[in-house]
Amino acid sequence: MKEKMKIESSVNKIMVCCGTGCTANGARQVLAAFMDRLKDNPDFAVVPVLKATGCNGWCEKGPIVKIMPQDISYCHVKAEDVDEIIEKTLLKGELVKRLLYRDPVKKEFVTSIHQTDFYRKQHKIALRNIGEIDPGSIDDYIERGGYKALEKVLKEMTPDEVIEEILKSGLRGRGGGGFPTGLKWQACKNTPRFPKYIICNGDEGDPGAFMDRSIMEGDPHTIIEGMLICAYVLNAEKGFIYVRDEYDLAVKYLGQAILDARERGFLGENILGSNLCFDIELVRGGGAFVCGEETALIKSIEGYPGEPHDKYVFPTEKGLWGQPTVINNVETWANIPVIILHGAEKFASLGTEGSPGTKVFSLVGKVVNTGLVEVPMGITLREIIYEIGGGVPEGRQFKAVQTGGPSGGCIPASHLDLKVDFDTLTREGSMMGSGGIIVMDDTTCMVEVARYYTNFLAGESCGKCTPCREGIRALVEILTRICKGEGELSDLQLLRDISEVMQEASLCALGRTAPNPVLSTLRFFEDEYIAHIVDKRCPAGVCPALTTFYIDPELCTGCTLCKRNCPVDAIKGEAKKKHEIIEDKCIRCGECYRRCRFKAVKVR
Amino acid sequence: MKIMIDEREVMAYPGEAILEVCRRENIFIPTLCYHPAFKGQGACRMCMVEIIDSRGQRKLVASCTYPVSDGLKVITSSEKIRKIRKTLAMLIAGRAQASPFAQKMAGEYEVKPFFFKGFENEKCILCRLCVNACEEMGSAVLAAVSRGVDKRIETPYAEGAEECIGCKACAEICPTGAIEVKEENGQRIIWHKTFDLIKCESCGREFATPEQIRFIEDKTGRKIEKFLCEGCRKRQTAEVIKEFSV
Repeated sequence: MKEKMKIESSVNKIMVCCGTGCTANGARQVLAAFMDRLKDNPDFAVVPVLKATGCNGWCEKGPIVKIMPQDISYCHVKAEDVDEIIEKTLLKGELVKRLLYRDPVKKEFVTSIHQTDFYRKQHKIALRNIGEIDPGSIDDYIERGGYKALEKVLKEMTPDEVIEEILKSGLRGRGGGGFPTGLKWQACKNTPRFPKYIICNGDEGDPGAFMDRSIMEGDPHTIIEGMLICAYVLNAEKGFIYVRDEYDLAVKYLGQAILDARERGFLGENILGSNLCFDIELVRGGGAFVCGEETALIKSIEGYPGEPHDKYVFPTEKGLWGQPTVINNVETWANIPVIILHGAEKFASLGTEGSPGTKVFSLVGKVVNTGLVEVPMGITLREIIYEIGGGVPEGRQFKAVQTGGPSGGCIPASHLDLKVDFDTLTREGSMMGSGGIIVMDDTTCMVEVARYYTNFLAGESCGKCTPCREGIRALVEILTRICKGEGELSDLQLLRDISEVMQEASLCALGRTAPNPVLSTLRFFEDEYIAHIVDKRCPAGVCPALTTFYIDPELCTGCTLCKRNCPVDAIKGEAKKKHEIIEDKCIRCGECYRRCRFKAVKVR
Repeated sequence: MKIMIDEREVMAYPGEAILEVCRRENIFIPTLCYHPAFKGQGACRMCMVEIIDSRGQRKLVASCTYPVSDGLKVITSSEKIRKIRKTLAMLIAGRAQASPFAQKMAGEYEVKPFFFKGFENEKCILCRLCVNACEEMGSAVLAAVSRGVDKRIETPYAEGAEECIGCKACAEICPTGAIEVKEENGQRIIWHKTFDLIKCESCGREFATPEQIRFIEDKTGRKIEKFLCEGCRKRQTAEVIKEFSV
């Protein structure tokens, strides 16, 4: 790397990532600082264009500031850094090295985030515009080919040709169900009743998942365009975007996008001079996880409590207000314009035969590069976690990866070469779901993980059908007593029996998949359950009732880190001398265990 | 149309659910949340049956909501179905610990209830028949509120509802006696609200609330001239019919 890299001067575009993660880390202040310094700045012949974009995906490194056309990316930018960026990069064409990403393996600075391992393996379709455009600007969207797909279907394609194209692409519903989108549209088109409705399911509720959120916040028009194309196919006049109210930015940008699209004639009467008349209403959900289930979501739009009903007749026949309805997930809609514009073959060439295209995943937990990634399906979990995610942070061991949200399952290290697509993970007792990936290290107790997710579902099930409501209640009670050291070996069979009935008899997919965390941990980590029940020991040192910590005098260096971080002063010892845990005072929080850099704190 | 239930060919009509056909044909399927006056709810899942689809694959469905189609094959009892019903009986009896009905059911299925902590005084099995009855007979003030394991039957904000007419249709239909009704000193207390009671003009029994009478008059558009309890009304009608039949 040369000491000073000269950059060609031209009109600069400064893009400040204002996704939720970056905003939480002060991106808005960075944006304000830029705005302040650039305003009437006499140093610039042409003042650079400043944009607030959606999420770049690499939330770990945020706030991210990108400078185009040179394609320079600065990480962890603070408002204080703005003067230096303007001074050096924008005026002198030099790099601010300390803000560049440093490759941990090659120990080199990387100018653009697009050259990093995190981005190189990614292939952006649904996220194609996010981080590149201002989500509040319809012009930005149009500039990048927005609403071209709509124009194409209106001018060149019949509704049947559109369905044919979607079918050929092999696109399957990205919300988790994986139902072929083309078949869904076709079924709805073939139902000879009007009016027909179109719904976008933006009720993303999995803990740790933010795929749909980023799309709604970062590229709202792509959803509108996808829905418009479907409206043309079905001859529908009304659509709804159901978004959870907690997604403040998504609500704001979607609302803005609908207004802008109306003003430009993309929504309303005789769209682009055609016979298509279509409008979209934004519906804000109350934040119930179960409303992501389509029949519950429909009930919620109708104004009833969000409770699913049996889906023996599909919404495509009898949906919103009993009328034929197509309901697709946010990410599915975001794929539609690309398939139309670039062709089904190109889309289908990505991914696997059964699961074509890409999938967006939110990669979180004990992994170096947390964030949002879009990869072709068929990629292995190992590639996602190690090559893109950078693996588990130093000093810890990978233990399991939880996929598919709260009703997904945990997959152990031995299964990391599984391909990530709709069918493979389901066969292994987990699921791809809507795309949550949570990495867990060896400080994670798998029984507690199962208890945590089941307990989440205890509050988020709708509570209508017996197997789900009472089954979850029973699972939580059994898991809780195992974690407290009060479990019995017969509990394991009881867990399996109740789980089996929940899978077979529950009304909706939430109940049918709710036992997944229990069954998958029982399958791959049964020894941990047995350690809790028989040995009365939590091997990961998580369950307080079953954990005793001690300091290995051989390994302790007397650095005092554990002592300083102990919330209850339960560690004695002087600097540079061996430390000791006072068992009576210890509350088993595990703070010392996780903090120790020498692995001297052990679980008995 | 014709469908096969346990190897027996029976007639069915479009729009019917499997369970409705079974009830007509005297084929037993256990239910908790079904009542012929209402649509199937698919909530209790006791009525799960297996169907064999056109590809010959077996599938578990709730018979109270699954619509019949020509040539449908249904199996009402199998190893899987028995396991489901037994497990549900175990869970329901574990929940409704104070309900003799639920305990008896666990006995019939020969299961030991999974007694949940803190449910010692619970009677409700959340079949929601009360909610349906309130919608059809009363003024739709009852609902299954809250989510997940906290689901319960309540009036809005758990307060006496202005619209409640105190008809106690909910309590009448409840299979487990879970809805508390107190009747004393000419008053009825139900769902956080106290109602006066009107006496039958014939036998003197207290039988209805003024709110209920007004509600029926509004609904039918006819003024009730004489306040008669159900028994006395029957007798009076019988007298009238007797006149006709002579």
